[in-house]
Amino acid sequence: MEQMIKMTDINKEFKILNRHEGIKGSIQDLFSRDYQILKAVDGVTMDIMPGEMVGYLGPNGAGKSTTIKMMTGVLEPTSGEIFVNGRVPYENRTRNAQDIGVVFGQRSQLWWALPVIESFRILKEIYQISDRDFKENLEYYDALVGASELYHKPVRQMSLGQRTLCDILAAFLHNPGIVFMDEPTIGLDVSMKSKIRELVGTLNKEKGTTIILTTHDMGDVDALCKRIVIIDKGRMIYDNDIEHLRSFFGAYRTIRIQFDRHAQALDGEVLKQQAMEAEEWLRLKFPNAKSLAVSMEDNWIQILINEDEVHMMNVVNCIQEKRQIADMNLQEISTESVIRKIYEGGIV
Amino acid sequence: MRGKRYIAVLRGSIMEGLSFRASTFLRIAGNLVYLIIIYFLWKAIFDSSPADTVNGMNFYDTMIYLVLAAAMFNFMDTFVVYHIGDDYQTGQIVLYLTKPIEYQPFLLFSRLGNCVISFFVTFMPTFIIVYFVTKGSIVLGANLFFFVVSILLAIGVNYCIDFFVGTICFYTQSVWGVNIMKEVVVSLLSGATIPLAFFPETFRKIVEVLPFWTIYHMPLHILTDETMQLSDYMTSLGIQLFWLIVMLGISRLFWRVSVRGLTVNGG
Repeated sequence: MEQMIKMTDINKEFKILNRHEGIKGSIQDLFSRDYQILKAVDGVTMDIMPGEMVGYLGPNGAGKSTTIKMMTGVLEPTSGEIFVNGRVPYENRTRNAQDIGVVFGQRSQLWWALPVIESFRILKEIYQISDRDFKENLEYYDALVGASELYHKPVRQMSLGQRTLCDILAAFLHNPGIVFMDEPTIGLDVSMKSKIRELVGTLNKEKGTTIILTTHDMGDVDALCKRIVIIDKGRMIYDNDIEHLRSFFGAYRTIRIQFDRHAQALDGEVLKQQAMEAEEWLRLKFPNAKSLAVSMEDNWIQILINEDEVHMMNVVNCIQEKRQIADMNLQEISTESVIRKIYEGGIV
Repeated sequence: MRGKRYIAVLRGSIMEGLSFRASTFLRIAGNLVYLIIIYFLWKAIFDSSPADTVNGMNFYDTMIYLVLAAAMFNFMDTFVVYHIGDDYQTGQIVLYLTKPIEYQPFLLFSRLGNCVISFFVTFMPTFIIVYFVTKGSIVLGANLFFFVVSILLAIGVNYCIDFFVGTICFYTQSVWGVNIMKEVVVSLLSGATIPLAFFPETFRKIVEVLPFWTIYHMPLHILTDETMQLSDYMTSLGIQLFWLIVMLGISRLFWRVSVRGLTVNGG
C-alpha cells in the first residue's frame, strides 16, 4: 500500500532576531541584522499508512506544530522530502487542502454567529462536496452523535464541547483522506472527552481516515492510538507501538507499601520518616539503581523502580528484612508517567 | 465553478452581518454624530469666507460631497487590515491556508456582507435624505449607472490597498500602527475628509497620480457633477480600472511572497 504521508529527513529552520534588553536595545533591534538560526525540526523521517491513527507527542515547543504545518503545506521545509497522498504539499497547497481536514482544539473554523448548518453549507461549496455525499454525511453524523439537534444552533451559543464536536464533524465533511487534530479535547470535561474520543475512533474506523493526533492528554493517546511518535527539540526520539513504549524505556514499576495496618491514623511526619529510612536502605543495597525514587502519596510509600536495574522482589526483600510490611501493591507505570519521564529527560 | 465557493462565503457573511443588529444601529448613530460635526465645521469655514463659493464649491455642494463621502466610508471600511492582523496574530490563518480557497478573495467576500448591509442601511437612507433636503441639487440619470460601476471598482481598489497594508502585519507583527497610518493617508488623499477641490494645485496634481482618489473622489464626482459627458465617465472608470488591476497585481504578489516566508504564531 502507498504511504499516506512520507517524510524523509525533513529539516525546518527559523531565523530569529537576537533581541537586546532595555529601550536602547529595542531601538537597536529595529535595525539589527543579528539573526540566530533555530532548528525547529531536525531530520524527521516517518511513513504513515492509510487508515492509521498516530499519536504525535512532544513537550511544548518540540516542533510538533511545525511538522503539522509542513504536512498541511502551510510551511515549506528547509530541506528534505515530504509527500502527502503522493503530492508535495507546499507546491500544491490548494490541491492538497482538498484532501485534508484540520481540527484545532483552541480555534474554530465555524462561523461564530451562524447556525452550524450554515457553516457546513459554506464548507460544502468550498470543498465542492456533492449533494449526495453532503446529505449522507449529515445523516451519518446524526446517527453517530445525534448531531441534528445542534445543526440549527448558532455556534456562539454552544458549549465548548458542542463546538469541538461540530468542528470535528466539519473537518470530516468532505471525506478527506487525512485529518490533523491538534489537542481536540483541550479544556473539555471528562464525559465530553470520552464522547469526543469515541467519535474520533469511530470516524477513523468506519471512514478509514488517517488521523494524526497531537495532544498533551495521555488519556486521548491510550484510548485512540496504536502507534505513537515522540519528538523533542525537533528530533524524533520514538516511533513505535504504544505497547512497546513502556518496555522500550525500561521496565518501570511502582511498588506501594504501608508498614502499619493503621496507616490512615499515622501523621505525615512518621510516614516521612519511614519513607526516608526505606530510601536509605535501598540506596545502600542497590547503588546502581539510578532511576529508583521514593515518594509519598495518600499514606502510601511509593517506590519507583526500573526492573532492568533492580528486580522488584529484591527491593521487597530488602525492605522486609528491616521492617515488617503490612500492606503492598504493585502498579504498572502509566503512559503518562513514561511520557513525563521522557519530556523531563529522565530516559533516552 | 470556483466562483460558487465565494458566493457561499458572501451569503454567509451577509447572514452573519444581519445577526449583529445592535452593531448596525450603532454605526448609523456614529455616522450621524460625524455628520453633525462636519456640518458645523464647514458652516464656520463658509461663514468666515467673503464669497459664497470656496474653490468653486458652495456650501451645499461641499455638504453633499462630504455627507455622501461619510456614508461611503461607512460601507467601504471593512476592517480588512484589522482582520488580517487578527488572523495572523491568533494563528487562525492556518485554518484558511489549509482550505482549497485563496485567502484574498475569501476575505473579500467574507467582509463584503457588511458592505452590502451598510449600503442599504446607511448609504441609501443618507443619499435619499440628502437628495430631498438639497431639493434636486443632485441630478439623477445615467450618472447613477456609472456611479454603481464606479463604486464597485472603488471597493476593489480600496480592498487591494487594505489587503496590501494588512499583509505588512506579517513583518511588523502588529496591526495598530499600520492601520492608523493607512486610515490617515487614505482618508486624506482619497478626498474622503476634504474635497480634492480644496487642495493646492500642486498637491492635487500629486494626488491625481496616486491610486487613492479613485476610491472616494471619483464615484462621488460621477454622482454629483452633472456636466460630465460620456467620455468623461469612461475616462474616470478607465483610471479606476487601471488602478484596480495595478493594485490587484501588487497586493497578490506581495501576499504570495509573504506567505512563502510565513511563520505562523502560536502553538
